[in-house]
Amino acid sequence: MRLLFSLIQVMSFFLFIAYVYCNSPGFCLRREDRLRFPNWFILYVFFSAISIGGTYLGLPVQGAVANTRAMGPVLAGLVGGPFLGVAVGLTGGLHRYFYGGFTAFACGLSTTVEGLVGGLVYLYMVHRKTPERSLSPQTAFLTMLAAETLQMVIILLTTQPFSEALRLVQIIAIPMIIANSAGAALFMRILQDRQNVYDQVGAASTARALRIAGRTLNLLAKGFTREAAPELARIIQEETGVGAVAVTDTHTVLAFVGAGSDHHLPGMELGPECRRTITHGEIHFLDGVQEAYRCEHAEKCPLGSVLVIPLRVDNEVIGAIKLFEPARQRFLRINRTLGEGLADLLAGQLLRAQYQEQKNLLVLAELKLARAQVNPHFLFNSLTTIQAIMRRDADRARHLLNHLSNFFRMNLKRNPEYSTLEEELAHVRAYLEIEKARFEEQLTVEIDVDPTMLQVKLPTFTLQPLLENAIKHGIANKLEPGTARIHAFWEDGTARIDVEDDAGSYQENKDQTATGLGLGIVNKRIQNMLRNGTGISISCIPNELTRVSICIPEGKVVA
Amino acid sequence: MIRALIVEDELHVREELQELLAETGEYTVVGTYSNALQGLRAVKSMRPDILFLDIHMPKVDGFQFLGMLDAEHMPYVVFVTAHDEFALRAFEENALDYLLKPVQIERLARTTEKIKRFLLEGKRPAYISPVLERIPCVIGHGLKLIDTAEVEYVRSTETGVHIVTAKGEFLTELTLMVLETKTDLLTRCHKQFLVNLHQIDEIVRTDPSTVTIKTRSGKLIPVSRRFLAQMKERLLIH
Repeated sequence: MRLLFSLIQVMSFFLFIAYVYCNSPGFCLRREDRLRFPNWFILYVFFSAISIGGTYLGLPVQGAVANTRAMGPVLAGLVGGPFLGVAVGLTGGLHRYFYGGFTAFACGLSTTVEGLVGGLVYLYMVHRKTPERSLSPQTAFLTMLAAETLQMVIILLTTQPFSEALRLVQIIAIPMIIANSAGAALFMRILQDRQNVYDQVGAASTARALRIAGRTLNLLAKGFTREAAPELARIIQEETGVGAVAVTDTHTVLAFVGAGSDHHLPGMELGPECRRTITHGEIHFLDGVQEAYRCEHAEKCPLGSVLVIPLRVDNEVIGAIKLFEPARQRFLRINRTLGEGLADLLAGQLLRAQYQEQKNLLVLAELKLARAQVNPHFLFNSLTTIQAIMRRDADRARHLLNHLSNFFRMNLKRNPEYSTLEEELAHVRAYLEIEKARFEEQLTVEIDVDPTMLQVKLPTFTLQPLLENAIKHGIANKLEPGTARIHAFWEDGTARIDVEDDAGSYQENKDQTATGLGLGIVNKRIQNMLRNGTGISISCIPNELTRVSICIPEGKVVA
Repeated sequence: MIRALIVEDELHVREELQELLAETGEYTVVGTYSNALQGLRAVKSMRPDILFLDIHMPKVDGFQFLGMLDAEHMPYVVFVTAHDEFALRAFEENALDYLLKPVQIERLARTTEKIKRFLLEGKRPAYISPVLERIPCVIGHGLKLIDTAEVEYVRSTETGVHIVTAKGEFLTELTLMVLETKTDLLTRCHKQFLVNLHQIDEIVRTDPSTVTIKTRSGKLIPVSRRFLAQMKERLLIH
C-alpha cells in the first residue's frame, strides 16, 4: 500500500510536468495525420525524459525498481504511433538496462515492448478510422494496464532466479499497474482539457472575426468613406465588446462610439499615438499598465488603454481604427489579437472595393475614351461647320481642319490616367477652337489660370468634358450669346478649378444622360484620385450661372 | 419655285443650307431663323411650302416646334440633324423627311423630288406630334416656357393669344387651335377662350342665358352655349 502511494506521488510530479508542458508554447498535439520532424523530435525528447525520470524517481524494491517509466513509451506510442513509441521505449529501456539490477534486461526489454504496445493501439485506432480515440483516457488506461501486465510477464519469463522474480512481481505488480494506468488516463485527460479550451477560444474568436467580416463587407463595398465610418465603429465595438471604438482618416476622427463619446467627437484632431500609427503605418498599443493612455481632451476621461491599428489600402495608410478600454478594465489579449487581425481583414475588403471601383472606372473610361476618339456628334458638327466656312473663307477652314486633327491626335496620344493642368488646357483649347467657330458670336470663352498651377495633376479628360457639358447643356440652350469660363486659382493651399457657364440651366434631378455621361465619369475619377470621397461640386443660380468646381486639397496636389 | 424656310440655330449651317438650296435652282428661301420663337412667327406669316428644321435648338427643340405648328399652316417638314437617327426613325412612319449634316447635294436632290411630287398631288402634311407640355411665351427678347398645368385659361384678343396663370399674363405665338388640339387639359369654352379643366372651381349660371366659370384663383371666364354641353361632357369624363 505504501508503495502505491509513493508511486502516485511520483506520478503526480509527472502529471505536473505534463500540465506545465501542455501550457507551454512548445506544446503541440497530433493535428495532422503525420508528425513533422521538429514536433516529432520534441515529443521524443519529452517522453524519453519522462521515461528516464521514471526510472530515477522509482522506489528501490529488493534490488529492482518500482517505477513509472512505462508512462513515457506507452503515451508516446498512443500520441505519435509505433515508431515514436518504440524510439522512446528503446531510449528508456537502454537507460534502464545500464542502470543495473537483476531485472535490468527484463525491464529494458519490456519498456521497448510497452512503447510498441502503445503504438499498435494507435495503429489499430487509425485503422478503425477513429484516431482521436487513441487519445482518450479510457484507451490510455486499458493500454497501460495491458502494457504493465505484459511487463510483469516479461520479468517472470526472463529473470533468473524465477523465485526472486516472482517475489518481486508479487510486491510491485498491483501498485505499478494501478498507478501507471491511472496516471496515463489522467495525462490524457489533461491533454484533452487543454485541447478543448484551445478549440473553444479559437472557435469563439473565429466566429467573431467572421461576423465582423460579414458585417463590414457590404459596408466597405464602396470603399472607406466618411459615411461608412460610424457604422464601422459600431460594428467593431459590438463584436469585440471593448469600451470604445474610434475610426479616423489621416487627419481627423470620423466616428467615435462607446465610453467617453461625450468629449471624443468626430472632426477632432488625432492624438499623438494615432498620428504615429498613421505616419509609420504600425500598430500602436498602450496597455494601460506599463504605459497608460492619457486623454488629451478631458481630465475625467474613463479610457485607460488603447490599440491603434492602421487602415491601409495598397500600402497607403488611409486612416486608423482605435480600440479603447476603460482604465479599470484590462485590455484582453484576445481583443488585441482580434484587433490586429482586423487591420488585415479590413485592408483586404478595402482593396477589393477599390479594385472593383477601378475596374468599373476603367470600363467607363475606356468607353469614354473610345467615344472621345471618335465622337461622331462632335465630328459631324465640326465637319458641317468647316464645310460651310470653306465656301467663304478657305484659309480659316484649313486652320479649323488643323485644330480638328490636333484635337483627335491629342485624344489618341494622351496618358490615360493623369495629366497636368497644362496638358488639359491644351486639349481644351483645341476643342474650343472648333466650338467657337461653330457657335461664332454665341460663344465666348474666358480662361483665367494661375500660372503656378499648370503642373497640378488631374485625371486625364477632366476639363474637356466639363467644357463640353457647359456648352452643350448650357450655352447651346441659350437664345442670347453665352460665356464659358475656366478659372484656376489657389484657395488657402487648395488647388481649385472652376468651369462656369452663364446659362444656369443645370438641374440636379435631371437624369444622367441629359446632363451628360461626362460629368459622372469626371466626378468618379476625381473621387478615385483624391480617395477622400469628394469629387466635383456643382452649384447653380438658375438662368445666371452653373459652376462645376474641383478642389484638390493641399496634401493631394501633385505637381 | 418652292418656298422654303430655315430654322436652325447655328449660323454656318444656316448659311450653308441656304446656299445649297439656292444652288439647286428649285427653291426660294423666304427666311432663315435661329430659334423657335422667330420660326413660329415666320411660319404663320409666310406660309412656306417646306420647312428645314434643326432638332437641337435652344429652349424649344425641333420636335416640340413641330407640335406648336397649326395644322392649317403645316408645311412639309425636313429635319436637319447631325445625329439622332434613332429618334428620327420613329417619325419616319409619318412620312417625315430628314437630312443629315453635313448635307450632301445628292441627298438634297432626293428630298427636292419628294416635295415636288407632294406639292403636285396637293396633299396636306399631317404629323403626329407630341403632347404640348410647355407653352412658349414671349418675354422681352426672350422666351418663357409655361407648364400647361399652370395655365388657368387662354384668351384670344386682337393683340394676340394671352396665357393667363396665377402669376400673370403672357403672350404666345401659338394659336387657340394649336393649344386646344395639342394639349390634354385646355378646352374650348368660348370662341375666344380656352379653360384648363383642372383649374375650374365653379360653373355659375348668372342669368338664364349666361354661364360663367370661376377659376380656382377667382377669375371669371364666359362660357358660350355652343361649347357648354361639350365641356360638361368632358368634365364628367374627367
